[in-house]
Amino acid sequence: MNLFALARVLGGLGLALTAVLLVPLALSLLDGDGAHPSFLAALAASGGLGGGLLALGRRGPAELTHREGFAVVTLGWVLFGLIGALPYRLHGALPTMVDAVFESLSGFTTTGATVLTDIEALPRSLLLWRATTHWLGGMGIIVLGLAILPMLGVGGMQMFRAEVPGPTADRLRPRIQDTAKLLWGVYVALTAVETLLLMLGGLDWFEAVCHAFATMATGGFSTRNASVAGFGSAYVDAVITVFMFLAGVNFALHHAALTGGWRRIRQKEELKAYGLLTLAAVAVLMVSNAARTYPSLWENLRYSAFQAVSILTTTGFGTADYETWPVVGQVLLVLLMFVGGCAGSTGGGMKVSRVVLIVKHAWAQLWSLIHPRGVRLVKMDGRPVPPEVLQGVLGFFALYLLTVGGGALVMAALGVDPVTAVASVIACVGNIGPGLGGVGPTDNYAHLPQAGKAVLTFCMLAGRLELFTVFVLFFPGAWRR
Amino acid sequence: MRVIVVGAGEVGFHTAERLALEGHDVVVVEHSRQALRSVEERLNVMALEGNGAEARVLEEAGIEQCGLFIAVTDVDEVNLVACLLAKEYGVPVKIARVRSVAYTGRGAVLNAEKLGIELLINPLEAVAQDLINIASHAAAVEVAEFAGGRILFVGYPITADSPVAGLTLAEIGELRTMYPFVVAAITRHGRTLIPRGDDRVEPDDHLFLVLRQKDLAAVRYMFGLEKRQTRRIFVFGGGSVGQRVAEHFEQKRAEVTMVEPDRNRCDELARRAHRATVINADITEVDVLLSEGIGKADVVVATTPNEEKNILASLLAKRHGARRALCLVDRPAYVGLVPSLGIDACISPRLSTASAILKYVRRGGVLNVATVEENQAEVLELRIPEGFTWARRPLREVPFPAGAIVGAALRGDRAFIPTGDTTLDPGDRIVVFALPEAVVAVEDFFGTS
Repeated sequence: MNLFALARVLGGLGLALTAVLLVPLALSLLDGDGAHPSFLAALAASGGLGGGLLALGRRGPAELTHREGFAVVTLGWVLFGLIGALPYRLHGALPTMVDAVFESLSGFTTTGATVLTDIEALPRSLLLWRATTHWLGGMGIIVLGLAILPMLGVGGMQMFRAEVPGPTADRLRPRIQDTAKLLWGVYVALTAVETLLLMLGGLDWFEAVCHAFATMATGGFSTRNASVAGFGSAYVDAVITVFMFLAGVNFALHHAALTGGWRRIRQKEELKAYGLLTLAAVAVLMVSNAARTYPSLWENLRYSAFQAVSILTTTGFGTADYETWPVVGQVLLVLLMFVGGCAGSTGGGMKVSRVVLIVKHAWAQLWSLIHPRGVRLVKMDGRPVPPEVLQGVLGFFALYLLTVGGGALVMAALGVDPVTAVASVIACVGNIGPGLGGVGPTDNYAHLPQAGKAVLTFCMLAGRLELFTVFVLFFPGAWRR
Repeated sequence: MRVIVVGAGEVGFHTAERLALEGHDVVVVEHSRQALRSVEERLNVMALEGNGAEARVLEEAGIEQCGLFIAVTDVDEVNLVACLLAKEYGVPVKIARVRSVAYTGRGAVLNAEKLGIELLINPLEAVAQDLINIASHAAAVEVAEFAGGRILFVGYPITADSPVAGLTLAEIGELRTMYPFVVAAITRHGRTLIPRGDDRVEPDDHLFLVLRQKDLAAVRYMFGLEKRQTRRIFVFGGGSVGQRVAEHFEQKRAEVTMVEPDRNRCDELARRAHRATVINADITEVDVLLSEGIGKADVVVATTPNEEKNILASLLAKRHGARRALCLVDRPAYVGLVPSLGIDACISPRLSTASAILKYVRRGGVLNVATVEENQAEVLELRIPEGFTWARRPLREVPFPAGAIVGAALRGDRAFIPTGDTTLDPGDRIVVFALPEAVVAVEDFFGTS
């Protein structure tokens, strides 16, 4: 591993973050809310660190090996998490650095779990920063780096694969930089459309932008203590439901849709599965809620659909306290937390395509019990899935369950009650936000022990980078030259 | 008409034989002296030694007067070059046999049109199509469609317990008032006869019927044939023929099981299959086949390159309960043997190719042709020309050529099975069943040759 090459890329990313920090700083000065010293300090830290690393890595080689690729992605995210935490801590919004880093990485990883108890008390500049961390993390800081930093070209595919969710990464253009630009272009366009639609629904530009950022990134940070329920508008609920669903779709498909590739889209099995799963989840929730929770059909549809889509896409916005719903609905929502959005979307979880592959693989195993000499290939979109991809998916599945199990054990050891221990880890590894028990939709993560918050911060990062990218750095071999 | 056939292999020999029998001047060009001697001894044709892709040889064969050029050697490129030469000499109809799908597959860069060759015929495609036709019609041994599928020509084996066994044709005729059909031919002990009213149907006969498609179910019921459709099909061998057959039935939503001994080929089949079950086993591994449900199979189609194994596997499958077995054999000697073994039908790529060529040759006035039982008889579809001498006269007064019978007629969109009172109008299309000797007479009678 060449540390100079590593420093070079990290320096570039640090400088990019410095530029982004100018936006909340400007709002802070405009509002005169007094938060500008903390932004200036963060700016100085990221600028100094970025410039220093860049200078240090000046002599390093331009090319990255795939080991360095993994390290760059993980360390890049850690760097962003640490610098992003500075405004919260310096402004005094959060009491400890652990809390601040939790909040910051919860933003970048688009988890949306918060340790803030009174969101509405924060200045607008800090809330905008919170939403911006979502938006940057949604499409991915490395993908952003690929799009804007020319030096990341070589070895970029490694990092692209390491960051873009899903078992395989689609390449839209021969050059990885062009692919990254296209993805960001689609992302920006969808965000702009949602902002406009939310403003039509009566939100001011600030809240519309913050919610559009959080929706398209499938994050879940709101500017209201009561989340989206705070607006009390069926129109806003509907717009956000639709855009959460869209954010859970592979962005390569959005690009295909915009350029008229409808035939390709209709053949996508993952999209079909995602659509059917969403419909089925809404139907089950509506049936279970029909009796007591929501006697009115429209209300039932509004709240059931919002919660199902919010959890499945791992956004984590809330318009209802699902902990008061029948238990079957709660269990369904927890199961949906494992699934997440489509590969190549901004959603977390295991991804629909992996779940589809796992189910197909299990089915093929059953089939071969009946046909011992039969030959059957697991196929996706009519094409056989290469065995190494299938093995990767199974390995990922195992690692995912181990991470959830191990994390829950540690949380329980720290004295957290069982439901909260399990639910908080599931919600953080899956980048969802709200869970059950002590971290339900009306609660927050502030009351958890400090060590627990550190564990969950790690879970969020590992979950966002799809486990392998992070865990591989714990292999001693990864750091050898 | 002068016909040149390049290549005296099975297909060339067979095609030359048929065309010579129908009175054409046939010249066979072949470079192997041995094959040529057999042609000279057994056929009434002119045999010429040489390379059919050489202009000098073709000139010697009289290519200037040639009306039909057929290149059926074992080498695709020789066939194509020979046809291109024939094109230069202005031969109106050129036919080449090509094995490679590079010329006949969908999206071929060099297809028949671009080459300027009227027909490129792929033996494997021809045989796959024949297998599909027979496998689709339960209990049938021969099937041909006419008039866009509204008229069927179907051959059925008669078993001892068949309700029509032992009846004369006149007695069977009394049954048919509601659903008209014509018994066009009977094959018995390898001979084909055009039956008369007092001929009796015997067990083990093959009965050939011409009937309307919509009456098929009723007539089958009358003959005591099962109504079950082909739902479960086993395809032995995953070569290109087996794959074609399997794909066809997959599209028809039948339950398809493919058995292929080669593991790599299995992977390829599984890659292409949608619903078909692919089994990696030898086609004679009975325990594997039984556990896959061979006993419940409606039809088994054996298409491996090993013809002896095809025959054995078909027999095994029938022994264990498969209702019908079709079998791909290449050696013409086996074609006659297989029915006596209890295998329902066997198809040879060479005979399929030859019959496809003949079908194409006659496509002018004669619209469609099918051949029956090793080409002992043919079914022709003809159009009644303007000024036909016997137009509008009842059929019983028409001095029809011996060895031929009118099976069905089409007027406009209406298909009907003729009786003695039926009249034929110009423009009608008729399906005629004829023994080979009578084909030329029939064509002359209707003025189409």
